[in-house]
Formats: sequence, structure tokens, C-alpha cells
Amino acid sequence: MQREEKQRESMLDALQTRLNDLKVAIGAMIHKIETEYETINWPTFLDNFALISSHASLTGLTKILSHEMGTPLRNLTVLPLMLSPERDEALMQLTEGRIAVFSHDMVPDYLRTKPEPTAEQRMLQHEQKANSLIAETAIKQVAQYTKIVSHVFDSVSKAREEWEVESSTRSGIQQTSSMTDTHTLVSAIGMGKGLKGIMPPVGGPAGMIPPSIRPQASMSSVSPSGTSQIGKAPSAIKTNIKSANQIHPYGR
Amino acid sequence: MATGNITSAIDSLSAAIHCNIIPQHEYLLQGSILDSQVEHLLHRLKGLCDNVDAGPEPFHDHEVCFSLRAPNQATPTLLLRVRKANDVDAPYQLRYIGQQEVGDRTRPTLVRNSLDIACTSTVVEYLQELGCRIDFEYTNRGYMFRKGRMKITVSKIFKMGGIPTKPGETYTEAISQSYLVELSVLAPTGQDGIGKDMMMFAEQLKPLVQLEKIDYKRLGNIP
Repeated sequence: MQREEKQRESMLDALQTRLNDLKVAIGAMIHKIETEYETINWPTFLDNFALISSHASLTGLTKILSHEMGTPLRNLTVLPLMLSPERDEALMQLTEGRIAVFSHDMVPDYLRTKPEPTAEQRMLQHEQKANSLIAETAIKQVAQYTKIVSHVFDSVSKAREEWEVESSTRSGIQQTSSMTDTHTLVSAIGMGKGLKGIMPPVGGPAGMIPPSIRPQASMSSVSPSGTSQIGKAPSAIKTNIKSANQIHPYGR
Repeated sequence: MATGNITSAIDSLSAAIHCNIIPQHEYLLQGSILDSQVEHLLHRLKGLCDNVDAGPEPFHDHEVCFSLRAPNQATPTLLLRVRKANDVDAPYQLRYIGQQEVGDRTRPTLVRNSLDIACTSTVVEYLQELGCRIDFEYTNRGYMFRKGRMKITVSKIFKMGGIPTKPGETYTEAISQSYLVELSVLAPTGQDGIGKDMMMFAEQLKPLVQLEKIDYKRLGNIP
């Protein structure tokens, strides 16, 4: 909280210096127009104006406002704590003789407690329109509006319900693949696990293999028990490695 | 004589590799999706991938893995894969897949050497003459998508053999209740940047599919 206040204070200080710069610049320009209106030429005047609008004052001001830290200024409220119809010398001095009295007449304009005139006008128009409505029609319209809104709400909540049910069922059927099956398949095509020793009967529809070589092959590869076959598979891979090295000495 | 031929072939191959024109590295991410969810994945891939107008490209392949064993040794020394399209008339594919490098956490994908060669149907006989034997085989049916250089396959793996359900069909049993999803790019040496692209694409398929680099060696221990 304290940090925020400090930030705001430093920002206000910065704003104040910028505003003062701007005020001085504008004052100088007015002075120039008033005193040198006979000699001043257009380019000089434009230069002066450019100086005001450039980074020296206006741009710098907007920069500070756009980089506001913490609470934006527009979210803060200024409250008049004391109003009096008496003439206030200090205020007079502070405002360089512009405001002499801080009274009920001035506050709405200076502290913006009153909306801008254009906004006020539009508000007035809307209020008039609202007042001119017949109560019955208004109620009817409100009812209609409520009906539409509730209808939209219904359909949205229904869609949401459906969506939630769908997503929950989807998470229910997570199981789409099985690691065991992967291993079975990979070892089957890689090492022939579960495939060895099951040879089609001789003379059957043999596909590409001439029947003459089938019996020999099956006899040599069938081992008496299943366990020894499992033990055999890794060693087959090992010798395969060796032979690979022999055939491809260049390797990588 | 035979060794002389191999050396010269290796020479010309290494020259080609030297020029960095052979896309010999495969960058790979793998995952799977349950059968019930595969439609969602296909739908998403349709939207993400390049072949939007044409739709997904179906494929139905039969792959046989041959192994070459040294005399008096039980473990195979070389694995070669032969792939044949069941649905369209296309050349057979002979494929060598090298040792896979998992790398550390900073490497986004699995990298392995991979060489693909188109062959005639006699390749099976030829491999057999060389002394290769069938190690295992399977059929692979699914869809292929493309996204730039990336290839995405969503396929079901079927065991071969057993009793055919319909006449003319040789597979009966799927390996699992899931489709295999693979994201791969074939690129010449020194294009590791592609891994990042693949990672980003894989992210877009989450949480439907978790595409990861899977270490075969570690899988060997999983029952």
C-alpha cells in the first residue's frame, strides 16, 4: 500500500512538472502573439507550436499517463472536503488569480463532478425517451428480453453439460494401447518370438515357400521346451551383431 | 573365387556409401494400438498424412525371415528377410536389418542399418541354396501412410500355419489383440535431424499410441 502511494506521489510530481512546462510554453506563445504579432512570421510560430506538442510537454505527458503504475488515475476519486463562500487568498495565489472562491458553484466544473455537457445532453435524451414509454409496453419488453436471455442461458448450460459428459467419458476410455501388446508384436517381428516352430502343414497353401524346405527348417528351429527358446532369442541377436560387423567393416 | 566376388561387391558398395547416396539407416519408432481403437488412429492419420485424397494405402505382406548358420552352430549368424506382397503384383523384397542402436536419452529414435533390394521370386530358392533356413514367418496386413519422408504403417501380424478358416487362407491366428504401429524413415548417414521430426509426429499421435524406441535385447527377458 505504501509503495503504491509513493509511486502515485512520484507520478503526480512528474505530471506536475510536465504540466508546468506546458503552461510556461503556452504562456510564452501567448505572450509572443500579443507582443510580436507584427513581426512574427508563420514558420517561427509553427516552430514554437511544434516545440509544445513535441516530446517536451504534450507527448511526455501522455507517456507518463500511459505508463501509469499501480492504480490508474482515472479510477481515483477527488472529493471536495471543504467548501466555503469566503474568498481564499491562498487559493488565489496558487491559481495565479484565476480562482478566488472554492464554492459550490465552482466545484462541479473544476472537479468534474458534473458530466461533460455533451454527455449530459445525451443522458437527458435517453431519460426523456425512457420516460415517454408507457409502463405496460416497458414491462412487456422487459419480459421479452428476460425470456430471450434465459433461453440463451439454457442452451449454453445445456451445451456445457453435454460437453462435460463427453469429456468425462473420453477420459474413461483412455486405454487405447497396451505396452504388453507392443512388446509382443515387436519381439514377434524382430526375433520371431511366438512365430517360430509354427509351420504350415506340408503341401498346404504354402505362399512363397517351396514345401521341400519347410520340414527341415521347422525341425531345426523348434526347440524342445519354450523356455530354452526364450533364452535363445537374445543370443541370436548378439551373433547377428557380430556378423553385421564382418559384412560392413566401414560401419559408421 | 567366391570371396573375390564379395570383396569387389563390398568395394563398390562402400564407394556408394562413401558418396552418401544410399539410404542405409532406418530411424524407427514402434508402438501398438488395440483393435477396438484402430479406427480412431486411422482417422487421425488420414488427417495428418500426405495421402489425404487417396486415403490409406492397404497392404498385405508375407514376410519370411531366413537365417544363415555357421556349420555345427545352433545360433544363426545372419538374418535376412524376404517380403512378398499378397495383394498386388510386386517384386519380392530382400531385406537386411543390422544391429539396432538404442542410444541414450538424447537420441529420439532407434537407428539401425537397413538395406532393401528388390528381387525376383527365385530369391527364396537362391537363399536356400546358400544354406539359409527359414527361421520364422508371418503375414502382415494393414495400412500405410506417408508424411514427407516418414512412413507410417498400421498393421496386424498373423501367425502362419494352423488350420485355415477359409479355403485359400493360410493364417488363422493374430499375434495379439493389437495392431502394430511403426513410424520409420530411411535416410543416408548423417541425417540425425529427422529424428526430431519423427518425435514431433509421434507426439501428435498421443495418447492414442505411444510410439517409442523399443530395445529388442531387453525384450528377450520379458516372458
